[in-house]
Amino acid sequence: MSTAEVESTFFRRTSRWKLIVLLLVLALIIAVIVSLNVGYAQIPFPDILSIIGKHIPFLGNFIDSSLISPQNAAIILQIRLPRILAGILVGAALAAAGVLYQGVFKNPMADSYVLGVSAGAAVGASLSILSGVGFVFFGLRLVQVAAFFGAISAMFLVYNISRVGSRVPVTTLLLCGIAVNFFLFAIVGLLEVIAGDELHAIVFWLVGGFSNVLWKDIWAVLPFIIIGVVAAYFYVRDLNLLAMGEETAHHLGVNVERAKQILLVLASLLTAAAVSICGLVGFVGLMIPHLTRVVIGPDHRILLPTSTIIGAIFLVICDDLARVVATPFVSTRELPVGIITMLFGAPFFIFLFKKKKQSYAA
Amino acid sequence: MVLLNVDGVECRYGSVKVLEDVSLSVKGGDFVGILGPNGSGKTTLLKSISRILKPHKGTILLNETDIYSLKSVDVAKQLAVVPQETSIGFNFSALDIVLMGRNPHMKRFQMESEKDMAVARKVMNLTNIWHLAERPINELSGGEKQRVIIARALAQEPKILLLDEPLTHLDIMNQLEIMDLVKGLCVKEKLVVLAVFHDFNLAARYCNSAIMLKKGKIFAAGSLADVLTSENIKGVFNVDAIVKKHLVTNSIFVIPLSPQKASQSRKCSIHLICGAGTGTALMKVLLDEGYSVTAGVLNVLDTDFETAQFLKIPVTTEAPFSPITEKTHKANLAMISEASTVVLTAVPFGFGNLQNLEAALAAVERGIPTFVIEEVPIEKRDFTKGTAKALLAELKSKGAEFVKDQNELLSMLNVSVEKLKIAKAERDRFLAHLKPEEVSKETEIRGKGKKI
Repeated sequence: MSTAEVESTFFRRTSRWKLIVLLLVLALIIAVIVSLNVGYAQIPFPDILSIIGKHIPFLGNFIDSSLISPQNAAIILQIRLPRILAGILVGAALAAAGVLYQGVFKNPMADSYVLGVSAGAAVGASLSILSGVGFVFFGLRLVQVAAFFGAISAMFLVYNISRVGSRVPVTTLLLCGIAVNFFLFAIVGLLEVIAGDELHAIVFWLVGGFSNVLWKDIWAVLPFIIIGVVAAYFYVRDLNLLAMGEETAHHLGVNVERAKQILLVLASLLTAAAVSICGLVGFVGLMIPHLTRVVIGPDHRILLPTSTIIGAIFLVICDDLARVVATPFVSTRELPVGIITMLFGAPFFIFLFKKKKQSYAA
Repeated sequence: MVLLNVDGVECRYGSVKVLEDVSLSVKGGDFVGILGPNGSGKTTLLKSISRILKPHKGTILLNETDIYSLKSVDVAKQLAVVPQETSIGFNFSALDIVLMGRNPHMKRFQMESEKDMAVARKVMNLTNIWHLAERPINELSGGEKQRVIIARALAQEPKILLLDEPLTHLDIMNQLEIMDLVKGLCVKEKLVVLAVFHDFNLAARYCNSAIMLKKGKIFAAGSLADVLTSENIKGVFNVDAIVKKHLVTNSIFVIPLSPQKASQSRKCSIHLICGAGTGTALMKVLLDEGYSVTAGVLNVLDTDFETAQFLKIPVTTEAPFSPITEKTHKANLAMISEASTVVLTAVPFGFGNLQNLEAALAAVERGIPTFVIEEVPIEKRDFTKGTAKALLAELKSKGAEFVKDQNELLSMLNVSVEKLKIAKAERDRFLAHLKPEEVSKETEIRGKGKKI
């Protein structure tokens, strides 16, 4: 290939990236619209459009919603829409966090479990469920607040244990994280043993689901997730350089320790925010970045935004499946979404991985 | 102008000192080789300069500013590092990786500009990897990968380049190409190069100065010719080496010799009659085998003479380019009389050294075992109109052993040493036989004796 061709391909990359992001946003919108149709109650599609349209400023003035039953409007606006938005937020947050963890650890196996963040959230949530206190904190349930702070404290614990002088070597971080992770899950196990009637609630929280999501939950985590993803985007090039190894990144002008610190805090913040509304949804944080890397390539400048959107789409679709698949079988009328993500996501990932293995093998 | 000044640097890992009181200063265009055995602190020195390992004592100044007070990005604009090995986490293309070298010159949200691309293209053409631009890095060969890493370092447009054994994975052609390239930049663009070398000859070829480290301290520093001497190599690496100036490349070259084998001394001395380089290889081999070696008569400045000097072998010498005089011939005969074996190499004979052949004859006549190596037929090396040939025939008739090469000689020598041992054992047994208390073992001994 000639010099000019190589260079023009390279520079066309930027516009290709923009196109990819645009297409993914479009796909996300389609997923949202489709998901609004999914559910136990049969609501005609035009009705859904007008219910949503009514609440869009300006456009709403032209829509006549007098013929739509208030019950259907409530289902759409108070149940389905917050659920979908929660799916978007959680999927986006977990996938973005996965990109950050894998980039910092330079290890495709890294996710929120390795730093004990998920385990910390689990301990917080289990304790609060067992306490039986229906305490409400700025309109949020105790479980959510406890999960959030459990996750953040676990991260700080691991980070401080791993510190060697002013440095935090990745290997010690991984080992301490895994040790703390086991320790915290042991506590969760203990709590499950003594839980009695509350066991069901803990188990449900541990596999994750969106069944109780309310608007105020969305508002509570939205700032964390937006700030987390946007702030992470400041460090995408540093993530690329970290893939060369920490010393090389340092030689290329990255303030490695600070970048690592900020990226780990951001990743943990995103994870904490996500699990606080839906419990531990597995697979998304580990596999979505992988899957995106197989298709898009390793450059974090495009990997982070695309993974974020793909994570959102993936979780919205999984939640649809959770609502539909189980309806005929399960008394609760739905499966926890965490089961769906793993049950359907894993085989799909293996299929994709098998197909692209050649170019993906490092 | 001094670009980099390392002053009294001491580094430790925990409580272990790995560098002590290391100082050096370099200016534009310097190509400094860092030499030393494993664990002597070469890599640590580079690490302290590249701000990976902060020294406990001492300062490192870059343009008269403490390098540890600068921001990473500002250092990266001036200093690039090619590490021993790079493992790359994700599968970026070669071009992506070279462009990462532009990072210190880019703002946070800036994408690569035409200028960055131009720099990348330039350094990739220099390192001959532009055709690999779109290939994933993990599919490249070791040599190609290392070129990509070097191109990335050059893309930083540094003033100082630190190379930590950059050629470990490269074949000889790649090594020379890369080093020629770096040397070119050093000369033309006044790039400072500090490079860790394990290969003395590559260091000799490209460096204009060097430091040699031993156990974390500078053992020798200065111009290459001052540092790369056989004394320093012996002192630091504990290896004997021949250091010479090569006639073709006009650079110093080093031939390390294998460490002296601690083979048992055979208490058997061999006198070599050689010359014109025919005895050079044999001297080293015989010493390694544990024989003590003498040689003569050799003309001063003869190749064999220089080897003998180097190996500290006693020699009977004659003035350069002069025929052997009666006096030296006598001295040689005296030396021969003390040897237990004489070896005559396939040296060419003229009237100047014909006496050496007579010396061999004298050895045979005195009953000293004499070996004649006949690698080259005498007809081809007889410049005495048949006199040498006749003497050689006489040697044969008087019982000198003729062997075809060095290997056969060595096996014959071993056999003759074995024979000596057996003879000694026989004598011991005979003596033992006389001792009454040993009689009981007689049958046993006799059994053994039959086997021999």
